[in-house]
Amino acid sequence: MALLIVILLLIAFVYNNNLAYLLTFLIASVFFITILHTFKSMAGLVVQAGQTKAVFAGEAAGFDIHIDNPNAVERPHLQIKLTKPHSFTLNPHSKTTQTLYSPTQKRGWHNAGTVTVFSTYPFGLFYAWSPLRFNTNALVYPKPSTLELPFPETPSADAELGMKHKGADDFYGLQEYQAGDSIKHIHWKAFAKGQGVFSKQYSGNGTAAEVWLHYDYAAGHDTEERLSQLCRWVIDAERADIRYGLVLPNLKLMPDRGSAHYRQCLEALALL
Amino acid sequence: MNSPHHKRILIFLLTSVGLIVLPHSVNIPPALFGFFSLLLGWRFTCIWQPQYLPTKRVLFFLTILAFALLLSQHRHLLGRDAGTNLFILALGLKLLEIKTERDIYLVTYLAFIVAASLFLYQQSLFMAAYILAVCCVLFATLVAINSLQIHTRAALKTATVIVMQAIPLTVIIFILFPRVEAPRWMLFEEKNKAKIGLSDSMEPGSISDLGTSEELVFRVKFTGALPPPKLRYWRGPVLSHTDGKRWTQVRFKESVDNPSYAGTAYSYTLLMEAQEKDWVFGLDFPAKFSEPLVQNGYYQLINLENPHKRAEYQITSYSQYNTGNLTQSEYQTNVQLPREPSDKIKQLVTQLHGFDSKPDALIQQILNHFRQEDFHYTLTPPLMEDNPIDSFLFSTKRGFCSHYASAFVYLMRVAHIPARVVTGYQGGEFNRVGNFLEIRQANAHAWAEVWLENQGWVRVDPTAAIAPERIEQQLNLDQLELGGDIRFDAGNAKQLNWLKQTRQLWENADYQWQRWVVNYDSNNQSDFLSQFGIHDFKTMMQWLMTLVGLMTVILSGFLLYQKKKATDPVLRLYQQFCQKLQAAGLTRSNREGAVDFAQRATTALPEHAEIIEEITAAFIQLRYGRVTTREDFGKFAKLVAGFRVNNPHGYRLP
Repeated sequence: MALLIVILLLIAFVYNNNLAYLLTFLIASVFFITILHTFKSMAGLVVQAGQTKAVFAGEAAGFDIHIDNPNAVERPHLQIKLTKPHSFTLNPHSKTTQTLYSPTQKRGWHNAGTVTVFSTYPFGLFYAWSPLRFNTNALVYPKPSTLELPFPETPSADAELGMKHKGADDFYGLQEYQAGDSIKHIHWKAFAKGQGVFSKQYSGNGTAAEVWLHYDYAAGHDTEERLSQLCRWVIDAERADIRYGLVLPNLKLMPDRGSAHYRQCLEALALL
Repeated sequence: MNSPHHKRILIFLLTSVGLIVLPHSVNIPPALFGFFSLLLGWRFTCIWQPQYLPTKRVLFFLTILAFALLLSQHRHLLGRDAGTNLFILALGLKLLEIKTERDIYLVTYLAFIVAASLFLYQQSLFMAAYILAVCCVLFATLVAINSLQIHTRAALKTATVIVMQAIPLTVIIFILFPRVEAPRWMLFEEKNKAKIGLSDSMEPGSISDLGTSEELVFRVKFTGALPPPKLRYWRGPVLSHTDGKRWTQVRFKESVDNPSYAGTAYSYTLLMEAQEKDWVFGLDFPAKFSEPLVQNGYYQLINLENPHKRAEYQITSYSQYNTGNLTQSEYQTNVQLPREPSDKIKQLVTQLHGFDSKPDALIQQILNHFRQEDFHYTLTPPLMEDNPIDSFLFSTKRGFCSHYASAFVYLMRVAHIPARVVTGYQGGEFNRVGNFLEIRQANAHAWAEVWLENQGWVRVDPTAAIAPERIEQQLNLDQLELGGDIRFDAGNAKQLNWLKQTRQLWENADYQWQRWVVNYDSNNQSDFLSQFGIHDFKTMMQWLMTLVGLMTVILSGFLLYQKKKATDPVLRLYQQFCQKLQAAGLTRSNREGAVDFAQRATTALPEHAEIIEEITAAFIQLRYGRVTTREDFGKFAKLVAGFRVNNPHGYRLP
């Protein structure tokens, strides 16, 4: 761009040609004014952080960002970026919600980091941007262990139940793959046939079953590994429709089942 | 690069590139233009048939071919023509290699350079308007690249709006940007195509081909009064030597005498169009002029700069002058005859008392002879091969200015009176709109000068004797047909039909354009700026920076103001509602929320409680609700419009 102006100026200068000068100045002025237009293409936008979705460590956390255009001008090409840029158009007086994903590694609260709203409209010559730091966090659950260990025999559990449980690794069906399912449970044959990703389901002995998932009984060298194992058990137990209780060093959750309980347990694991 | 969006961008881009190169078709060799058109057509086809895009090898081959073509036409790569062609070919080749967005930018930039090169060939107002329009299309291409979904018209509109906004800034920079003459070594000499114009010799007949050309030669704007038509002689080359057929210039070594001037002084600005020769046609008799003009020994103005450019000169001429005495050699030159004149001519001169009367008496005698005998003025005289003077005087008696001037001078010389032929232009059409005279090739003229004791060189126009209208009035070229009757335009304002008026309006616009824009050089710039007290480079730069800054502030204010003006229609309606309540004495404070205000309003106006709550609920839903539809808005608008507050005090306001 600058080179173009220099070349044009040189032509105008060498041939002392006023119209070439005029064209040069016009192009330079247009480029210059574009700065204002690029700024204007973003000015007045209202950006708010919205909901977040909890994920298991290793997955990408999603952050909803609401962008509101309160003005009567169209925003033909806005872009928003967390890790990868997204493009979108906003009509006058309209709003949109963009979900941005950020990869996670560790359990706990995952901060959204800097969301950049930017625009290069109208000519792509200038870049107007606004780095936004929202204090918005996504909860990251521990990464479910890939080890297939049976539910622990806990002191509080009934011996009979424990026994039943031991032999309870009976395959009872397939279910669509869900985040957190062990890779070992994936029904690879079905996958190879292109039928989709399914997890093999193993079941205990019915709905009356109850397990205590105890921190001390989870295998692992350190807290993270233990939590990872507990996470695996929580998922498996919920899926197997077993009532499960969770015992952590600082917390005890009474046996129960259902999505609220499930979430409560995972949250406890995430935030330990 | 093959989505519908990209297709549209490519169509945009290729169209604008085609439009940019199109006017070059007259400037560049046909082979190169053909090659470029081929490349453009190829790329156009590939929008729909991408499999025909050239491979790298083919592209390499095409590049070699392009260079070969270029070298065959120019033998070098420098200079205006070769440089322009180089850029055009580069543009054509790059078109076939558009892979990424970056390539589109490169093509656009190349297209801008080619657009600038067009101005090296033509600088008319029309061309400038054309380029401006095409630039809008090019900018629209950039808009289209940077928009997800944009319609052709919307992109063009955006680009045009931005270009319009840029114009004031452009004008400021144009006026204040320092103009420096490029050093000589940077000017590439060009051999120009021969242009029609006065030649440096005259053979009666040689002027006939320019007789009807409407090509503009120069324009003159007088600061004071206009000289009357019979004084409008624009002095060109002086022809003193003859071989009996041809009249040619004689190199004049001696310095110019200092003539004395009298009569009316005419000051004017003369705007010469690009010329082949370095002649500048000053009003007879040019007295004051500035660089780069000089005067040769024949009082003809000569331009020391490149005549291939338009140029503007300030000249003052006087209607009366005395050039003083002749030297011996000057005398000899101006009575020169190729051989002894024929007996017939001697007889004629004797008959006209050429040998026994005073020179001015002889002048009158000869002019009377032309008038009384059967002489005619025509633009298509018969050919006079041998002895043209004799044939003209005694047999054909038909001719135009050159014939009359040469015959007249010849007769004077036979009588040993120094005389010479002066060529140049005579008359000129007055442009009423712009208040200037336009002198065209059709105004080319030849007249005579006779040296008289105590008067010096005196202008005598024998053509005036035979066709006075030719001098007094403007030859009407529109009605003129060769061989037909020559009619003269009386130049009456009432006769100006609309066609002529339009033409004059256009000529005036073009003149102002040439004068103020095309010719805005360092001299003009310093003259213009000193009116505002800007004299040196430093203040110029300061003003440039200040005005550009100011313009930026104004523009940003303008852009941001536009933004504020347009508020949410929902909010606007709600404000209407608040105003209605205000009329009833309820004013919403800035900090009061809609719900709180509604509560206060219902307490104060219990009879309207229901509707106030309804409006408030609708407002909240529209403004903060998750889903809103057009119908909701319509309902809200209706509610607000229908809302009336009965005056709480029980009486109606008139």
